[in-house]
Amino acid sequence: MLALILIFIASIYFPGVIVKVKALTSGRKGPGILQPWYDIFRLFKKGSVYSTSSSFVFQIGATIYFSSVIISALFIPFEETDALFSFTGDFVLFAYLLGLGRFLIILSALDVSSGFEGMGANREAFYSLLIEPAFFIMFSALAMFTGYTSFHDIFANLHYDNYFSIVIAMIAGYVLANITLVETSRLPVDDPLTHLELTMVHEVMVLDHSGFDLALIKTATNVKFVLFSTLSANCLIPQSLALWERIGIFIILQVFFAAGIGWFESFRARNKMAMNAQYILSVSAIAMVLIFVIIILKNRI
Amino acid sequence: MVTVFNFALLISFAIFLLPKRWKYPVNLILHLLLIASTTQWAIQAFTTEGAVIPLGISTWSGPIQLVIDRLSAYFILIINLICLCGILYAGGYLKPYMSKKRAVFISLHLFSFLWLHGAMLLVTSMRDGIAFLLAWELMSLFSFILVIFEGQKESTLKTGINYLLQMHLGFALIMIGFLIADNQTGDLSFGGVASYFSTQKNIPLFLIFFAGFGIKAGFIPLHSWLPRAHPAAPSHVSGVMSGVMIKMGIYGIFRVVSLLQEGLMAIGIIVLVIGIVSGLMGVIMAIMQHDLKKLLAYHSIENIGIIGMGLGIGILGKAVNDEALMILGLSGALLHNLNHALFKSLLFFTAGNVYYATHTVNMDSLGGLIKNMRYTSIAFLIGALAISGIPPFNGFISEFLIYSGILHHLPIADFSMSLVGIGTLLGLVLIGGLCIYCFTKAFGMSFLGTRRSEIIHHTEEVPKSMLLPAVLLIGLILCIGLMAPFFGGAMVGILRQLTGINPSTVLLEEVADALRMTSYINIILIVVVAATLVVRAWRQSRVKVTTGPTWGCGYSAGDFRHQYTPTSYADSLRQLVDPLIDYQRNYKSFDEKEIFPPPKTFDTEAKDLIEEKTVLSWVNLITTYLPRAGVAQSGLINHYLIYPMFFLIILGLLTFLNVI
Repeated sequence: MLALILIFIASIYFPGVIVKVKALTSGRKGPGILQPWYDIFRLFKKGSVYSTSSSFVFQIGATIYFSSVIISALFIPFEETDALFSFTGDFVLFAYLLGLGRFLIILSALDVSSGFEGMGANREAFYSLLIEPAFFIMFSALAMFTGYTSFHDIFANLHYDNYFSIVIAMIAGYVLANITLVETSRLPVDDPLTHLELTMVHEVMVLDHSGFDLALIKTATNVKFVLFSTLSANCLIPQSLALWERIGIFIILQVFFAAGIGWFESFRARNKMAMNAQYILSVSAIAMVLIFVIIILKNRI
Repeated sequence: MVTVFNFALLISFAIFLLPKRWKYPVNLILHLLLIASTTQWAIQAFTTEGAVIPLGISTWSGPIQLVIDRLSAYFILIINLICLCGILYAGGYLKPYMSKKRAVFISLHLFSFLWLHGAMLLVTSMRDGIAFLLAWELMSLFSFILVIFEGQKESTLKTGINYLLQMHLGFALIMIGFLIADNQTGDLSFGGVASYFSTQKNIPLFLIFFAGFGIKAGFIPLHSWLPRAHPAAPSHVSGVMSGVMIKMGIYGIFRVVSLLQEGLMAIGIIVLVIGIVSGLMGVIMAIMQHDLKKLLAYHSIENIGIIGMGLGIGILGKAVNDEALMILGLSGALLHNLNHALFKSLLFFTAGNVYYATHTVNMDSLGGLIKNMRYTSIAFLIGALAISGIPPFNGFISEFLIYSGILHHLPIADFSMSLVGIGTLLGLVLIGGLCIYCFTKAFGMSFLGTRRSEIIHHTEEVPKSMLLPAVLLIGLILCIGLMAPFFGGAMVGILRQLTGINPSTVLLEEVADALRMTSYINIILIVVVAATLVVRAWRQSRVKVTTGPTWGCGYSAGDFRHQYTPTSYADSLRQLVDPLIDYQRNYKSFDEKEIFPPPKTFDTEAKDLIEEKTVLSWVNLITTYLPRAGVAQSGLINHYLIYPMFFLIILGLLTFLNVI
């Protein structure tokens, strides 16, 4: 339950911090921290316009996307404190649940019979296909290291008792941060602020969503962001500290993470579209490094 | 029950004599008789340790009896289920053909369908070598007749002959396998194979059987008949062929694997690698297709690959003595048989609905069907989600079992097994991702958006009778997703009898717990979706909801041509996997001097590179050089008379030199 509360708190300020940091680095004052959520609440109250060529798939797409992300949030533990759902191999179900949401959001994009949204749908399917291996390689590496296969047990048994483990934690944290960026469609793979439909990935898929549905999608994306950053925070926070210290570190880490993304996005241009596949595959390659570190560490060679 | 079974098969010849409108109902009743008798035996075998049913018929090798253990019983239940759905579906699907086709063809088709069903039942319950081979041959022959139902088209007939030839290659390999075992042990049966394995080297004989059964199952590189035969056959036949008939190959492999004694490491690696290659290449080739049924056929190869992966890690588990890896791998493979049978026949039946309504399965000219064919679309969507292994449906459960097997083993694996484990995991993940890519394409392009063809047919939903099997299949798909521990337990029961191992209760508890949680989460997922939909409906009722044209970047005169096409959707992947496929664009570019260019055509085609390199290159070699032997065929009788003399001289020489 603790993890859920922390995810909830973090997702309140997370999107705001990114926006604020981006504004500050470009010399503007920027909106308040809670502005992204005000926008979403306003959307929840608004009416909707549906494309004439869309069908019931479009109507249920956003809802299922939202539900799948919310259910996935129930899998995330905060170190050794329990997640709501925890069983052996639960990260497989976690990834496949996110797959359900993705499937439906891609279909809703294809449902409106627009050229742009087809493009976005295709890119989303392609990039998520390429990033998925990184997630699985990383968690099976951690499973190899700790001997357990559920989120909760993995994080509860990540002991940083020697220097190898610090290497493992660093690589895992880095890989997860990259996965976060790809999964939530941020730079350098996708730019949420781009104004040109041809270069969008996630944004172009939701062009025809409005009102309640758009609010659901935006909420889900914000929550998804925090889900993944919580996972990487779990890799980085040392176990030896007291609970309140860890909660403190968690909240600060999340702020840093959000600020880091804002900073990074202020100074980095997006990749060329054709470079994205290589960039995403390189994340899997780094995750493979983790496997070899663990094989060496466990004296398997 | 024995009389019922025999009666149903014997009386089937009467279908030829009946008037046209009676043929289908009588056939349905005969199917039901077969199903009733064998299902009863199967359930009996499941609850007890097995059943032996003498058929009351004797041949030269003794009385024929059905030996049904749990593995056979499991496959019998799958066969009965899918054949029932198939014959129910055929009722609607064949209606337009009833007036077009001559009575004898209709009878032959229905008769073959019944006998395909019967032959598959016999394959699963024959242990004697000759009886097994006979049943196997019957299965191939009757499925050949079913494939060439539309044999007036030359391409269909050609495909059918290709199919028949490949099946006989498989038959020959299986026969050679049995004969080798018989030669050593004097026992032409699975028992003989078992005693051969306990005394001789296992790998060569296993590979012969694996190749023979693998042709039926469609493992790459033995798959080339599959993407041809499935699109050519009528949909109820492709549903049954893809749903259960290719599983007979898997059944055979399971039977042989259960008898293996040594050389498990090498065999496991071979099966695993072939599984991974089949899985990945199957789904990559599927993404490149325009033809909906061909796409589904390639997906059969992919799913056979997943079964192969489960089987492979199961064998490896036995080799390294890890109970968890063995049980989870094999049970994942077993359960995936049922899962694939359910969603693949569902998908083929719905693809058949599309063909029935629009007379095409080419995705380039489909689109927007969801508006007129609501129920078909829902059924296809559920099948698509299930085949992509997405919860809350059944595909996830079997893939999850295979995942858990690998994840269980990884912490204790040595170096090579770690790499094997990670490789398999990577294969499964990529297959999962590619499946999502493929089925968003298949569903999105054929059912969503607007029609991609200038000639707009008026399409309407198919008759209710053609939707009935879909309802049955969807019910079971959900059932497995929501009652996973029950099905997992049943698989362990089968394996306990088949392999004789007794897994520790700790392991079983852990897996049961994971499956139970998965099922709970699936239920919670459905509840959350429903609740959100209710809230959404409530909100929507209080605000203004309007409709308008799709955003076209300010351009409002767009039409269906603006949509993404199947080819463009597949293109980003195509660039990545280009070396693995033979991709061809057929078009003529504009000439500089062409001031008024005429209309041009452009089409793309992804040819199967593996088939070209492994099968066609040999065939081409043979077909280039074989005609040269035609020199001997001079047409002059004196030449022909001299050939026997040459033969006799050679024979004499060989005898003289003591060669023969």
